[in-house]
Amino acid sequence: MKVKGFLKDVGGASRVTRARLAAFESASATPEKTDPIGEASKAWHPGRLELKVAQIRTCTKTSKTVRFVRADGGELPYFYAGQFIALEFPMGETIISRPYSLSSAPYQARGKEGFAEITVRRSKGDGFVCDYINDTLKEGDTVYGTMGCGQFYYEPLRDAKNVVALAGGTGITPFASMAKEIAHGTLDMDLTILFGSVSSDDIILKEELEACEGEHVHIVHVLSGDEPGWTGERGFLSADLIKKYSKGDTTYFICGPQVMYNFLHGELAKMDIPKRRVRFEVFGTPKDITRFDGFPAEEKEAMHNLTVVRGIHEDVIPAKAAESLVVALERAGIRIETACRSGECGLCRTKVLSGHVFICPEGDGRRAADKEFNYVHACSAYPVGDVKIKIPIL
Amino acid sequence: MKFYKDHYDVIVIGGALAGLSSALMLADKGLDVLVLERHNLPGGIATSFVRGGIEIEAALHEMMSIGSKDNRLKVGKFFDDMGVDIDWLKVPECYHASLPGIELTLHPGLETFAKEVDSVVPGTYEKVLRLLNLCHTVFDSVNELSIHPMSKVQMLMKHEAFVKTAGYSTQEVLDTFELPQKALDLLAPYWIYVGSGFKDLPFTIYSVLMADYVGYGSYIPHRFSHEMSLKMAERAEAMGVQIEYRQHVEKILVKDGKACGVRTQRGDEIHADYVICSAYPHKVYTSMIEPASAVPAKAIKMVNGRRLSLTAFSVILILDKTAEELGIKDYSVFRGDTMDTDLLYEDLAGLGPYRYLTCICHNLANPDATPAGTCSYSITTLPRVDGWKTVTAGDYDRVKHEVAKQMIDDMSAYLGVNLLDHVLEIVIETPMTVNHYTGAWNGCIYGFAHTMEDHIVARLQTAEEEHFIDHLEFSGAHQISGDGMGPAVTNGRKAAKNVLDTIAKEKEAAAK
Repeated sequence: MKVKGFLKDVGGASRVTRARLAAFESASATPEKTDPIGEASKAWHPGRLELKVAQIRTCTKTSKTVRFVRADGGELPYFYAGQFIALEFPMGETIISRPYSLSSAPYQARGKEGFAEITVRRSKGDGFVCDYINDTLKEGDTVYGTMGCGQFYYEPLRDAKNVVALAGGTGITPFASMAKEIAHGTLDMDLTILFGSVSSDDIILKEELEACEGEHVHIVHVLSGDEPGWTGERGFLSADLIKKYSKGDTTYFICGPQVMYNFLHGELAKMDIPKRRVRFEVFGTPKDITRFDGFPAEEKEAMHNLTVVRGIHEDVIPAKAAESLVVALERAGIRIETACRSGECGLCRTKVLSGHVFICPEGDGRRAADKEFNYVHACSAYPVGDVKIKIPIL
Repeated sequence: MKFYKDHYDVIVIGGALAGLSSALMLADKGLDVLVLERHNLPGGIATSFVRGGIEIEAALHEMMSIGSKDNRLKVGKFFDDMGVDIDWLKVPECYHASLPGIELTLHPGLETFAKEVDSVVPGTYEKVLRLLNLCHTVFDSVNELSIHPMSKVQMLMKHEAFVKTAGYSTQEVLDTFELPQKALDLLAPYWIYVGSGFKDLPFTIYSVLMADYVGYGSYIPHRFSHEMSLKMAERAEAMGVQIEYRQHVEKILVKDGKACGVRTQRGDEIHADYVICSAYPHKVYTSMIEPASAVPAKAIKMVNGRRLSLTAFSVILILDKTAEELGIKDYSVFRGDTMDTDLLYEDLAGLGPYRYLTCICHNLANPDATPAGTCSYSITTLPRVDGWKTVTAGDYDRVKHEVAKQMIDDMSAYLGVNLLDHVLEIVIETPMTVNHYTGAWNGCIYGFAHTMEDHIVARLQTAEEEHFIDHLEFSGAHQISGDGMGPAVTNGRKAAKNVLDTIAKEKEAAAK
């Protein structure tokens, strides 16, 4: 065997070793510390941030807009219009976290004066965080937030340039963000928002939306209430109404309460729209898990012991079968990272070491191998018996 | 609250394939091991994610060094030995080469491959087979020498081909075969898996690449690379390894010249006899060692004297038609407008348009990879970090979309189908994405470039002198075996072996 000649061939290993050592010898001894790719990555996803409530203003009689800035004075992350913020409110011994779509636009987060806003409606009965935000939260308070979450945003390589948004109630917030970004000239899409509200005096973000109207942004208010003198559209977001405002190749973005989704599934089915042209925002934890098929009836009111393993440490806490593992942990003041709270994003991925959990059948976003090894997304897993789980140490 | 034991034998930083391989091997020898991983699941980029209810592979194209059930190669055998039972699916072909004047699908098996090359470049069978056999001989030597080191004289007698080709670049050895350009083009597509142009790529590396992939074919786990990562992690835990997710290690503690523990971002100080670290040496030597004075100037020179290799940019599409309906015929397509690897390597320093793309349709090796009526199609380029370092956060989205659009348009033209008319889901993975999930320095996934100045043979010969801090071992793509998921396992095992050897040595010294 010969490549170039015996001596040169057999000397190869020594030659390459000398070359390598020579390269080191002539290299600089000054550490090269720059990781610009890591810096750019952090500007989009810096992780959980301490935020200060900079302003709270009344939006309608039942809703408020809360403005956040970074507590450390730094710049807020980049994000896409339509994405949400996972907020964490310390409440005494417990922790409460919730996802809220940002109603401000990405461009408004830029620079030293940048801010991010959510718009929250006071609820009737449940959703006490919404009430907390409306009634108790005040300017100057500190909360924690992770921004730029979720997949509900316009993606030019996937979606039709013409987008019809179907919004109900506070489901308008992601579209308000899009409308503002379009009006600012930094998002290239055409947006028609069909916005269902109950009455004309409770239309969330009305003025802000109307300020965005123009060549690329159209707002159509649709009132479901029986209001005399209203000359606009009335009723629900029916197939006929949707068709009336659609032109050509259109992607439908849908965000609103669960009842609206149930209704729209039927309406959209009548319209023969390709699957890729319909995008639903996730809607959070179901109001009543016990109503789902497969949830054991006898567990409706049951309480169980939840053993929580973190490292070599174990806690035993009470857990209600009808509440998710995340809720049990937060009630006990044990932090777990969550974002979507709908079973999809997997941030709250948790190992079930023993015991049975009921998995919410809607939005089970688990990986196949995770299912096999009994990993659950804790926001959509319900302890129907004593359960032992392992979660990250935070 | 106490989350950690007072002391571990070994702390492994990073729960990807390398770290988990180290952990498995050490636990198998009875050591008490703690693995700290920054993400909330194992695997690093060997993972999957779910989008729109569909599970999507994050990074793996094909695993080398697995082998068939009856003829396992080293990585496949390691998994078997450790009791990590993975549902491997065989990838049906080597690749479809779509090169200037060539459209040809090549299959594994040295003779099969040579015959297929001969079918479009007649008269080359003998030479191509001789080349592949030479690669195989070198490959066998590398595998044996990595287990049984020997003297230079012995090596020359027993491993002549390995010794005599070690000092040459791939180009220099290929030139001696005097093959027509078209045949050389068909023998080049895998270059991107090692990421250096042939004038700079050690023939030793080319040999291992060709012998392994062409000789034995490649495999993927049925449930994506997450199946592999998770089964490794589960097995490690069953063997007593403690794995903690969402732990950012900020400091490696050094005392009297010896690594003795770590400190995490949340402030836990954890002690151990040994630390195995998957973070890049760049990051370790510039910001992680405490005290910083424990880092010798030699270590910085070693980092600065080497070239960071490739990162990744992938467009992953879930399409609303089947592969058959879209005319996608091959699991993997390597497409380039030239097969001059040195030119292509220069091209990778920019931000596109990239001239060499690698496309994978998982459904063609894994029929139930996506729901009925759909398929997944990924288009990947592996750029150098240089171009992406210039992209600012404000420009990032625009650049990302321009590059992705170009790649989709290129492959749409090739397939004769506008892929953009069929997109159910799209995920664009960039160097920044890699950095976000793994913390990899500048989003680099390939570690140090395999070059004639940073030759694997030289790396092996000087390994001990590059051991700058006692009881601190490195593992990951930046180690001896370099990039790739198969080599990651080998790198992890090497780090564990170094720990075991040191323990044995110190025991022996103490006994004396």
